[in-house]
Amino acid sequence: MFEMIKQRSRVMRAVAFVTYKEWSAYRSHSMVSIFVGPVYFLVQYYIWSAVYSGESSINGMSLSHMLSYFCATMLINYLTMDFADWNLQMLIRTGKFITFSLRPMNHMFYALSQKAGHRVLGLLFEFIPCFMIFFFIFNIDVLPANLLYAMLSIAMAFMMNFFIHYSIGMVAFWMVQSSSIRNFFNLCEGIFSGSLIPLVFFPKSLQMASFFLPFQYTTFLPAMVYTGSYTLADITLPIPQVLLLQLIAVIIAGVVCRVLYAVSLKHFTGVGA
Amino acid sequence: MKRMFLIYKTCMKANIASAITYRVNFILNSLIMLIGNVLFPLVTVFIYNSNASFAGWTFKEALLIQSVFILSTACAGIFFNGIMWNTMSHVVEGTLEVVLIKPTSSLFLLLARSFEFESIGLLGGGVIMFGYALSGIEGVTFSSWLLFLLLFGAGLLVMFGVALIVAAISFKWVANSRLPEMFESIKSFGRYPGTIFPKAVVVVSAFLFPVSMIAYFPASTLIGRWEPYFFIAIIPCVLFAAFGIWLYTYMLRSYKSAGG
Repeated sequence: MFEMIKQRSRVMRAVAFVTYKEWSAYRSHSMVSIFVGPVYFLVQYYIWSAVYSGESSINGMSLSHMLSYFCATMLINYLTMDFADWNLQMLIRTGKFITFSLRPMNHMFYALSQKAGHRVLGLLFEFIPCFMIFFFIFNIDVLPANLLYAMLSIAMAFMMNFFIHYSIGMVAFWMVQSSSIRNFFNLCEGIFSGSLIPLVFFPKSLQMASFFLPFQYTTFLPAMVYTGSYTLADITLPIPQVLLLQLIAVIIAGVVCRVLYAVSLKHFTGVGA
Repeated sequence: MKRMFLIYKTCMKANIASAITYRVNFILNSLIMLIGNVLFPLVTVFIYNSNASFAGWTFKEALLIQSVFILSTACAGIFFNGIMWNTMSHVVEGTLEVVLIKPTSSLFLLLARSFEFESIGLLGGGVIMFGYALSGIEGVTFSSWLLFLLLFGAGLLVMFGVALIVAAISFKWVANSRLPEMFESIKSFGRYPGTIFPKAVVVVSAFLFPVSMIAYFPASTLIGRWEPYFFIAIIPCVLFAAFGIWLYTYMLRSYKSAGG
């Protein structure tokens, strides 16, 4: 068991390193975030400053909490962003996925390792510069309320994002062109993850539904853990319980993803090599 | 001129025929584009539902600005936004010479080929939202409609300039698919009432990078909140589009073919 974990971590490190080197050639892609992130934040800053004029709290969130929330969602996104769905559907559609049948590792683990390498790049060229800009230029309190809790929650959000995107990517095993399904999913994610607006602004029924959807576990929940308090649908939970809730959601998503992977492989018909 | 019109008509027909052939994909993508753009007004809906507001703006006034933004985006999507992706793709694949050797202006040909019928859903959604928002606005006169159309046209020139500038940059900054994102982020200042921004931002967004003309200025004329400087801001819009055309034509020289 210990040997297997050791061997897997060696493989993951190697794939992650190669991916990092490969994407480093296109680091300007990541560095666009240094411009885009602060500009979007500036817009949010003015919007919410106007909305909060004369109000100390809206839906239980103060202005400073709201601004910290938006900074946290952007920063967390740089660490957890995923495009495994796009990659997988491309491999299936072009038939290149067949080469993975010959390799002594499953593609799911390979894709996860790739993501790890890609997000190290995100950490260096997106997270750290934007963190500095938010902290030193905008004077926003972007330090996590509890570093350990925040790291745990972001790590789980990283896995959750991977599981749900990889699951969506597997639709391509059944549909040759799955772009519309992926776009639809991304749309739902945009609404229900909390990156557009905190979920506490949603109607109560949608807030309740968010507990059972996978989306809040990728953005809203880690952002709330990052800022130090969690309330949804009038339910306030202590952070350790929130982390437990996220862990349960990640385990469920992981099991679903693994089962789907096993079923999908039986369905795969490749052409060429 | 007649020849150009015929070329444009042929390109339009080809795009519509393609949309009809792959109609399920067309309908789905149109719907997704519509819903995706409707997300931004959703923030306004949630804000006003929480008994908060943009200071000094009613819900329908704020919604009107955002519906005008959607209309502009839809028109840009139909008529010229595709030039960004077409140019990028040609540069990456090294196939632009196929356009360059044609006996017509390459910029015009790329524009004609950029006609994109998929944004029609977005245009429909924008019109419905615009109608709904307008139902809460009183005192709209014929002259305010004329002013609206004038400023709306100027806003389209800004979008046109942005599309050309992004396309032009892609000749040098090859394969950076995130390039449009940079300009989208700046355009987002134009989605909201200008009064929520500080004076410096208003000046920049009116005269330097005139994104206020995309939605805020035209919508304000319908609401009756127009200011004389709105009309002065038409000049930078025209200059912006002219700069876009110049930059695109200039950067076209930097194109390096990957061979045939």
